[in-house]
Amino acid sequence: MPERIRHPPLDREKIKQPKAEIHLIKDQCKGCGYCIRYCPMKVLEESQEINAMGVHPPKVVDESKCIICSFCTTVCPDFAIFVVEKPCEKACQA
Amino acid sequence: MTGKEELEPKQNDEEIRIGVYVCHCGLNIAGSVDCEEVSKFASALPHVVLAKDNRYTCSDQGQEIIRKDIKEHKLNRVVVASCSPRLHEPTFRKACEEAGLNKYLFEMANIREQCSWVHLHDRKEATEKAKDIVKMAVAKAALLQPAKEVEAPIIRKALVIGGGVAGIQAALDLADTGYKVYLVEKGPSIGGMMARIDKTFPTMDCSICILAPKMSDVGHHPNIELLTNSEVVEVKGYIGNFHVKVVKKPRYVTRDCTACGECAKVCPIVAPNEFDVGLAIRHAIYTPFAQAVPSTYIMDMNLCLNKDGVVVCDKCMRACERRAIEFEMKTETVELEAGTIIVATGADVFDPSTVPNYGYGKLPNIITSLEFERLINAGGPSGGLLIRPSDVQIPKRVAFIQCVGSRSDRNGRLYCSNVCCMNTIKDSLLIKEHWPETEIYVFYVDIRAYGKGFEDLYKRARKEGVMFIRGLPAEIIEDKKTHNLWIIGENTLQREMYKINVDMAILSIGLEPRKDSEIIQRLLTLSRTQDGFFMEAHPKLRPVDAATGGIFFAGCAEAPKDIKDSVIQASAAAARASILMAKGKVTVEAITPISDVEKCSACGLCTKVCPYNAITLNEELKRIEIIEAACGGCGTCAAECPFGALTQSHFTDEQILAQVDAITEHDAEKKIVAFCCNWCAYAGADFAGVSRMQYPPNVRIIRTMCSGRVAPKFVERAFAKGAAAVLVAGCHLGDCHYINANYQTQKRIERFWKKMEQHRLNKERLQLLWVTAAEGERFASKIREMQAIVEQVTPEEIDSAKKVFEKALGEVSNA
Repeated sequence: MPERIRHPPLDREKIKQPKAEIHLIKDQCKGCGYCIRYCPMKVLEESQEINAMGVHPPKVVDESKCIICSFCTTVCPDFAIFVVEKPCEKACQA
Repeated sequence: MTGKEELEPKQNDEEIRIGVYVCHCGLNIAGSVDCEEVSKFASALPHVVLAKDNRYTCSDQGQEIIRKDIKEHKLNRVVVASCSPRLHEPTFRKACEEAGLNKYLFEMANIREQCSWVHLHDRKEATEKAKDIVKMAVAKAALLQPAKEVEAPIIRKALVIGGGVAGIQAALDLADTGYKVYLVEKGPSIGGMMARIDKTFPTMDCSICILAPKMSDVGHHPNIELLTNSEVVEVKGYIGNFHVKVVKKPRYVTRDCTACGECAKVCPIVAPNEFDVGLAIRHAIYTPFAQAVPSTYIMDMNLCLNKDGVVVCDKCMRACERRAIEFEMKTETVELEAGTIIVATGADVFDPSTVPNYGYGKLPNIITSLEFERLINAGGPSGGLLIRPSDVQIPKRVAFIQCVGSRSDRNGRLYCSNVCCMNTIKDSLLIKEHWPETEIYVFYVDIRAYGKGFEDLYKRARKEGVMFIRGLPAEIIEDKKTHNLWIIGENTLQREMYKINVDMAILSIGLEPRKDSEIIQRLLTLSRTQDGFFMEAHPKLRPVDAATGGIFFAGCAEAPKDIKDSVIQASAAAARASILMAKGKVTVEAITPISDVEKCSACGLCTKVCPYNAITLNEELKRIEIIEAACGGCGTCAAECPFGALTQSHFTDEQILAQVDAITEHDAEKKIVAFCCNWCAYAGADFAGVSRMQYPPNVRIIRTMCSGRVAPKFVERAFAKGAAAVLVAGCHLGDCHYINANYQTQKRIERFWKKMEQHRLNKERLQLLWVTAAEGERFASKIREMQAIVEQVTPEEIDSAKKVFEKALGEVSNA
């Protein structure tokens, strides 16, 4: 079906994507950058600050883009990142 | 040939007795050719024992005369000068066979399509040309040899390409007849366009409700193997014996899927659903629509987070109770064998954003008729409510604009798309059914309600108060605040301007050939019309057959048509394919090459040019072996052989050179000798005749099966005999009916040009033309262009060419 799509989907508001809350334990990070490299939605990037380990920990660029696959948690060798789903009240307000 | 007649080799020593029949074809030929004079001329030609002219040679009486004469006058060759051999050669061959004459002893002279119809206003020249054409045919006929056709078995399996309603119908009909069917569909589900339409005209049946049972039948039929998400990538072989490669892309979901939909619920990726023209969303794992067959879900790997081979997200896997998701699935190549192929690849819709004055794509409340179908469908993104995209309100005033992308030489296509008028009438009635108060305006050029029950529906729409206004809008302007639309144009019936305010406008978009038809065209060596749709073997009498044997068309692949016509054509195509498969065997035309072991030096050049790999070199015995059943009959091997060891039956060197000699016997310095391939160039010349395109009468056409048959020595002979110019014409590169044999043509002609340059000859005198069967005008204008060249050629130039190619006169003396 190769028609060009010209109108946005009508039901785009009905789809409720879970909202993510990303938690970074900055001082535990040793700056390997795996979470940044492997995030499929490119939510993270290296920050300018320097942590207790003397490296640049990641920072969240756009939390709303996160789809909570938790792959960052899986690949982090230092247990320095985890994601939880925002409770509904909070998510709906956002 | 059925083999009941014995071949009589003694005929070789027999006296040659040719009968010539010049047909008037009513006034079609007699109107511009003096048939009596042609017949009188023919009677004086060598070996001719009788020549007659009659009104309709193809009639029963006409054929009876031939049959009687064969017996009474002991004719052993027959020449009929009438229409194109592409039309009536089979008719006359059959008549000869019935009288006990081998059908390969019949020859046809085309004095209608290539003479009387293209020289309507020059009776004298047309008559002279007709005489020449008859002379050529008689010269060839004298050298004809009887032949026996080889029989090849037909694989009793069919391949259907495309799973729309046409493909579904064809597959079901064939499967119910008892043949194994492979149905290949590019998309994730069968159903095609019909599955996306809400109601069908003129009966207002629910489209998916009547289609879904058929789809499900396809899914469960024991004789149908359904290959979705698959594309045909290679087709080899010939009628009855096709070898097909199909690439099956992975679904990443196994057949264990129960279509519960739990995976899609948790999938974090969303994208517009193509099935709903993007009006609804889907996930990376999805099913295009509820009734999809197969019902198995499918993963869109372009969107899935795991596309790089690392399982980043496994939400769907965790949600799937049946463990039906497998990320390791790989693309498979399936090899199939089929005896017949049905092409049901359908059509695309026109993209109206290319029409600037309608503002589609910029103004939110302008939608296409396809988007309308999804909106009005109860299973669609709006749940069956017709809503305008800008504010999600139900419109009170709606405009339909017809012929968007059809019947226009500026925006879109020249042809009528056949379905849009009735589709709009049906759509307007649907709106009236749900919201009777809606004001509906239809802006049209002509309303074409031509089919059964169509006029009734049109009348019903008018009665319901749908306003039909003749004259397409010049412009659509949006009210920036309300997003309402002003439709501005001229009412051509009342000759006054209109400016009508509506809430929403629907563009009735036309149909286009598939953007990838070229791939199918190349794979199956088909032709396309100027419109881009596939071309049938004969527009009236063989409307579902392709020119290539064993291939048939169904549905919009051949031309835009509605559901009913698609189904009719699908059943017809299935019946045509069944006829072949029921017979179980196909006769291979006796035009395959014969090798002369004594002359052959086992150089292997022929094996390299054969497009079918039908010739193999036996290194031990130092000779070649020909596989007749695999041979397509192009004759390019015979043209390539430097030793004259290969002879193409029915198109031998002697026969073709005799035709060249017949042309050049008189007034050679004014004539063009043209070699045309049977499928494109000769058919294109025929098409010029059918369309009555006029061109100069000094061209004489020699038919070969492929332009690859044209050996350089034929061209040399023509120049040696003093011909003014030579034309070699074939199919466009890539469109060759013999896969790629015309690349050999190109190679040989380019070599010839070089040779001409070396000898300081005007190389413009040899022309090469690529032309399709639909490009009659291209052929005609080439002849006009060459006429100018012929006029400039000086007697000195002719003499010097004669001298350069003198040697060619010694080539194969024709007795």
